[in-house]
Amino acid sequence: MLNFARFVVTRALMAAMTLVIVSLVVFSLMELVPGDCAERYLAFKNTQGSGISVADIELERQRLGLDKPFLQRWALWIVNAFQGEFGDSCILRVNIAQLLGDKFWLSLSICMASLALAYIIAIPVGILAAASHNAFLNNSLRIVSYLGLAMPNFLLALMIMLFATVYFGETLTGLFSSEFRDAPWSFAKFLDLLKHAWLPIFILGWSATAFALQTVRALMFDEIGKLYVTAAAARGVHGRKLLWGYPARHALGPIVNSLGFDLNRIFNELPIVALILVMTDAGALLIEALARSNDQQLAGAIIFLLTASIVALNFTTDVALAVIDPRVRKSIIR
Amino acid sequence: MTDRVETTVEVEAQRSKEAYFTASQRQLIWARFKKQRAAMVAAAVLVVLIVSGIFAPFLSPYDPTIAGRNKDYTNGAPQFPKFCDKNGCSLRPFIHAVERERSLKTNFRWVTTVNEDERNYVTILPKGDDYRLFGFVPGNRHLFGVQEGKIHLFGTDEDGQDIFSRTLHAIWTSLQVGMIGVFIAFVLALIIGGVSGYYGGWIDGVIQMITDAVRTVPAIPLFMAVAAFMPPELSAEARFFYISIILGFIGWPTLARRVRTHLLTERNQEYVLAAQLCGASSAHVIRRHLLPSFTSYIIVDLVISFPYMVLSETALSFIGLGLKDPVSSLGVLLQKATSADVMLNYQWYFIPVLFFIALVMAFVFVGDGLRDAADPYSESQK
Repeated sequence: MLNFARFVVTRALMAAMTLVIVSLVVFSLMELVPGDCAERYLAFKNTQGSGISVADIELERQRLGLDKPFLQRWALWIVNAFQGEFGDSCILRVNIAQLLGDKFWLSLSICMASLALAYIIAIPVGILAAASHNAFLNNSLRIVSYLGLAMPNFLLALMIMLFATVYFGETLTGLFSSEFRDAPWSFAKFLDLLKHAWLPIFILGWSATAFALQTVRALMFDEIGKLYVTAAAARGVHGRKLLWGYPARHALGPIVNSLGFDLNRIFNELPIVALILVMTDAGALLIEALARSNDQQLAGAIIFLLTASIVALNFTTDVALAVIDPRVRKSIIR
Repeated sequence: MTDRVETTVEVEAQRSKEAYFTASQRQLIWARFKKQRAAMVAAAVLVVLIVSGIFAPFLSPYDPTIAGRNKDYTNGAPQFPKFCDKNGCSLRPFIHAVERERSLKTNFRWVTTVNEDERNYVTILPKGDDYRLFGFVPGNRHLFGVQEGKIHLFGTDEDGQDIFSRTLHAIWTSLQVGMIGVFIAFVLALIIGGVSGYYGGWIDGVIQMITDAVRTVPAIPLFMAVAAFMPPELSAEARFFYISIILGFIGWPTLARRVRTHLLTERNQEYVLAAQLCGASSAHVIRRHLLPSFTSYIIVDLVISFPYMVLSETALSFIGLGLKDPVSSLGVLLQKATSADVMLNYQWYFIPVLFFIALVMAFVFVGDGLRDAADPYSESQK
C-alpha cells in the first residue's frame, strides 16, 4: 500500500513537472508577441483622444507588474494558473477564468463524450475484427481507419449539415437553442444541449474512432496468436468467454494508455469543428483569440487548460491501470 | 533428362537463396515492399501526384493566379472534352463554346449558356502563359489547351481561376511545405534525439521529459498560437516559409523519440562495442556504424510523418492562419469549398478535396507498407 502511494505521488509529481514545462512554453509564446498589455491599454487611451508618452507606458508597465523579470512573472503566472486564475485579457478586458468558465467545461465534456463514443464503438468491433479471419471485414476496417485520417473532419461536418438543412430543414449549428443560450443550468437546458451536441460529438469522435479501431485490432491480433490463448482454447474455453477472458484482458493495458493520446487528437479537431458548427465553446474562443483579435492571454490560458486535461487524463489512466492490471500492480508493490 | 531439370531448379533455388543472404538492406526492403499490393498501388498514385505537382506549370493549361483567370467564365462548371455531339463525331476532342449574358431577360444576373453548334477543338502544346519549370526553366508551352478561349477541366472559381491548374500547383505547394517542415523537424530530431540516445543517463532523462511535455500539447492549437505571430502584412512567399518553419519546429518530438529509440537499441549492439574496442572515435562510430544501421527506418519515419505535415498545413490554412489566397495550396482550396453556397451550387470546388484525400491516403499506405517492409520480423509473423 505504501508502495502504491509512492507510485501515485511520483506520477503526480511527473504530471506537475510536465505542466510546468508546458506552462514555460506557453508563457514564452505569450511573451513573444509584439506589444504588451501596457501598450495596448494606452493605445486604447490614445484613440480616446488623450495624449500618451513613453513615460506613461513605463508607469503602466510598473502598475501591471510587467517590468519584473521574465522568470518572476512566469512563476506568478504558473502559481495562479494552478489555482485556475489566468488574470485579465487585455483585449477583452475581462477576467479570463470568468470568460472561459462554463465554456471550457462544456468543450471538455464534449471531447470526453467523443472519446467515450470512440471506444464504445472501437472495442467490440476491433476485437471481433481481430478474431475473425474475414478478409473483407478486415480490409474494409483498414480503409475506414485510413479515411478517418485523410477525410477532413470539417468536410464530414459540412456534408452532414448540408444534408440536414436540405432534407430536414433543420440547421444543426450551435450548442443551444436561442431560448436556452443565456439561461441558467437546468434539466431542460441539459436536454437541449444533448439535442445539439450529438453532431460535434460524432464528428470529433469520427477520426478518433478510426484510430482506436486500428489500435484495438492490432493489439488483439498480437495477443490472439499467443500460446496462452491456444492453451485456453485447448482446455475447452471458447467463444465470447475465450475472447474477453484471455486476450482482451491483456490488450487492455496499452488501450487504456493510449487514451491520453486520443484526447490530444480530439483537441486538435476542436477549433476546426467549432468554426464550422458555429459553436460557442472554448474551441471557438481559441480561434477568436488567435485568428481575429490576437489575444495571447486568452489563447495561452486555453492551450494550458487543454494540455492540463490531457496530463490529468494520463495521470488517471496510469493510476487506474495500476489498480486494475495485476502485472503493473505487482511491479509496484514488490 | 529429369535429373538435369532438377539440378537447374536446385541451382536456381541456391542462387535466389544466396541473393537473399547477400542482398543489401535496401534490396530486402524493396523485395518485401513489392509484395504488398495496397502499398504498391498507393506508391503508383503517389508518384503520379508528385510528378503532376512537379510539372504543374507545364501540365496545367493556365497560370494558377489571377493572371490566368478567365473573366468571362467565373464560377464556371467543369468542361469535359468530348468526341461526339448532336452534329456528329470528330476524331479530335472538343468542347462547346460558352456565351455569357446579363440583361433584362436574365434578371440582370450573369447566365452562362452553352452554344452546342460551335465547337472549340482541343490543341496539344499550345503557347500560353509564361512559367518557370522547377523555378528556373522558362517556358510557355502547355500540355493542352483549346483553339479559342479557355478550357476548364475542373471548372473555375469565383475569380475565374482555373481549378485544374490551381489543384496541380497546390499539390506542389503542399508537398513543398511538408518537405521543408519534415526537413526542419528531422534535423532537430536528429540533434535532440541523437544527443539523448547516444549519451543516455540523466541527459536522456531530462531531454525525454521535455520532449514528452511538448508532445502533450495539442498540436493544432499550438500551431495556431505560433502562426498568430506572423505579421499580417507578410508577402505570400514569406508566409509560406514561416508556415513550413513552424510546422518543423512543432513536429520534431515524435521523430526525436524514434531517433532516440533506434540509437538506444543500436548503441548496445556488439558491433558498436567492437568498433569502440578497436579505438574508433565517437564521430566515426556514429557516422560509419550507427547512422547506416537505421537510415532505412528513419526514412520510413519521415514518410509516415509527412501526411501529418500536409494535414497540419491544411488545417492552418483552413482556419485562416496559414497560407492565403494568391498562393494555391490544398488548404486554401479546401477552405474555398466550405461555404454553403459552394456546396449547393458549385460542387466542382470539391475536386481538390479528392486530390487531398488521395495524397494523404497514398502517403499513409506507402508509409505503412514501408514500415512493414523495413521490419525484418514482419515476414515470420505473416
